Amino acid sequence: MTETTILATYGLLVMLTILLQVLGGMQQLSLGYLISSRDETRTVSGMTARIERALANSITAMALFAPAVLILVILDRTSPATLLAAQVFLVGRIIYLPVYALGIPALRTLVWLVGFAATAMLYLLAL
Amino acid sequence: MMPPELTVLVLAALVQVVTFVAYAIPANIELGSGYTMSARDREPTRQMSDRTARLGRAMTNMFEGLILFGIAALVIHTTNQSTGYTTLLAWIFLAARIAYVPAYAYGLRPGRSIIWVIGFGVTVLMLIAALF
Repeated sequence: MTETTILATYGLLVMLTILLQVLGGMQQLSLGYLISSRDETRTVSGMTARIERALANSITAMALFAPAVLILVILDRTSPATLLAAQVFLVGRIIYLPVYALGIPALRTLVWLVGFAATAMLYLLAL
Repeated sequence: MMPPELTVLVLAALVQVVTFVAYAIPANIELGSGYTMSARDREPTRQMSDRTARLGRAMTNMFEGLILFGIAALVIHTTNQSTGYTTLLAWIFLAARIAYVPAYAYGLRPGRSIIWVIGFGVTVLMLIAALF
C-alpha cells in the first residue's frame, strides 16, 4: 500500500458511509421522500442519525487528508513515516465508523483524535 | 495539454462555482442582504423559496461529490493510471453533475436521484480503477 492507494481506499470508505446513510434514510424516511426534492425537512434518528454525523465528519477529514497526501506525492516527500501516518489515519477512520454507528462514547473521540493527529503529522512532514 | 481527468476536475470545480452563484443571488434577494451579511446568530425572519433551497442542497451535495471525484482524478493522474476508460468516466461525472443542478432546481423525480446515482457510480469505478 502506498499513500495514494490509502487515499483512494479512504474515498471508497466515505462512499460506503454514504450508501449506509442512504439505506438508513430509505428505512426511516421512505424512498419516495429520498427521491423527492426534499422541500419539507425530515430528520432521521438513532443509528442513521449517527451515521449521518459520522459522514459529515468523514468528509471534513477527507478534505484535510487528501491535500496532505497529494502534496507529499507531488513534492516527492513520501517516506516510511508518511506511509505509517497515512496507514494510522485509515485504520483510525475505519474504526471510527462502526464506533460512531454503535454510539460508543470516548472511544469514538479517541479514534477521531488519532485520525486528526495523523493528518497533522502528514502536513508537518510535507513542510 | 492538460491531462483529461484534471481538465474535468477544473471544469467540475467551475460547475460548483456556478451553482454557488445560482444559489447565492436568489438567497440574498429572498433573505435580504442585511441577514446574509450578519453573523447569522438567529434564524432568518424571511423564508427562502423552495427553488433556492433546492439549489442550496444541490451545492452542498456537490461539495461531497467534488472532493471524492477530486481524489479519484488526482490519484489516477499522479500514479499515471489514466486510460480511455477513466477519461470516459470523468466526462460522465461532469455531465451528471451539470445535469444534477437543474434537475434539483426543477424537482425532477426520480431524475435527480438517477443522475446522482450515475455520478456516484462513476466515482466508485474511478476509485477502483485507481487501486488496481
